[in-house]
Amino acid sequence: MSVSRPVVVMQLPEEFNAETSQAFCKEIEPLLEAHRPRIVLDCSLVRSIDGAGVEMLLHCLEEAMKRDGDLKLCCLSAQSEVVLELLRVDRVFEIFASAEEGVRSFNALPVDVIPQDAPWYSAVFGELGVLKQAS
Amino acid sequence: MTSEFRRIGVDEVSLLIDEMFSSRRDEIEQSVPELAPVWTSDVSRAVAQTLAAYKESGIETCILTLASVYAEFDLSDTLQFHRAHQQPVTRVLDGKGLLDFWVVKVDGISEVADIFASLQGLQASSYIVSGYVRRLEHLRDLRCLVVDSLTSRCRMRPQGFEVRPGVWLAEGAQVHRRARIVAPAFLGSATKIEEQCLITRCSNVESNSQVDFGTVVEDSSVLSNSYIGMGLDLTHSVVDGSRLLNLRRDVTLEIKDPGLIGPNKSSGMDANSRSLLSFGMDSISARRERRSFNSETESTYSLL
Repeated sequence: MSVSRPVVVMQLPEEFNAETSQAFCKEIEPLLEAHRPRIVLDCSLVRSIDGAGVEMLLHCLEEAMKRDGDLKLCCLSAQSEVVLELLRVDRVFEIFASAEEGVRSFNALPVDVIPQDAPWYSAVFGELGVLKQAS
Repeated sequence: MTSEFRRIGVDEVSLLIDEMFSSRRDEIEQSVPELAPVWTSDVSRAVAQTLAAYKESGIETCILTLASVYAEFDLSDTLQFHRAHQQPVTRVLDGKGLLDFWVVKVDGISEVADIFASLQGLQASSYIVSGYVRRLEHLRDLRCLVVDSLTSRCRMRPQGFEVRPGVWLAEGAQVHRRARIVAPAFLGSATKIEEQCLITRCSNVESNSQVDFGTVVEDSSVLSNSYIGMGLDLTHSVVDGSRLLNLRRDVTLEIKDPGLIGPNKSSGMDANSRSLLSFGMDSISARRERRSFNSETESTYSLL
């Protein structure tokens, strides 16, 4: 039986800078320590983000990916997008228009329905055995 | 512009500047050493007073223009047109409409509070220009003017030396030998471009600005005394100190992190002292000397 892990949506603070990102880091740390963390950061409240804030986002993404998970962003303002572009990290994160889209994106590929003991290509070439038998 | 006025035989040139620009007073006055600008809190009234003074000194015709437009047309032809039509005012316009440019019969003007409204009420003939016109209403327009200048779509040229086709450097610009300047581009005086930087696609870095290690400046204008931090991608933008205007998204940001973007403290200039562009039309041919830079024999920075 496979159990789908929940996707956690977290809100970023209005000012995401060196000070606030430290507090945010403490909050998100337990989530990142879980196996395959699936996190969507809602940036709808963010009014300003600086280099330290972006560093923290990258750190969180790194931690999530280390544990075979992912961290995605949603609801970015145009200002935040400009800062991410300026710092060349806009292509590093998956960015969605809404939190729902971000959550849905984790379930786009139903990884959990594929039995873990089956080979990775079984979802694509599952019919191969049937065809072979028929021939 | 002043040299153009002098060329067609204009006797008197007055420059009236709103006091809202007084923080840039020294820089403005240095840029027009041949004129003594009049600083005023009420431009309209100052224009009316200047016209009255012209009238007293026997000047018959006056060309009145605002710095809200850059236009290339034959001023002497405009004056001839004005004289031939014998109207109190000649308005200059292009295909998009009226320009802030008038030729005025001085004795038809009375000293009023709002001279521009008064000009509207006078009978006017229309002089249509077919040359290059750029209205300067937004920083976006300034960026377009830079692009047009660097791509030779207008007569305005960077105030510097064309060291390679399309690459212009002003006196004292420093480019690290491992930085790349891809034409068309302009670097103003005392700018510093650090290692691994790329400046390209009609970008201009104005005087006393610094672009730090590994940053790409593409299709952007960095106004004077600005610092662009390390490892950034500055695209489709105008930077003025800590303010960044992204033209593609039409978003203005105040960057509070001086490590990213901010006033260039290492320039030793007053952070508030900024000029918009080092572009002009005077002595272009004299400035088109070619000088080599970035050659192997030079030190880490090529100094002009």
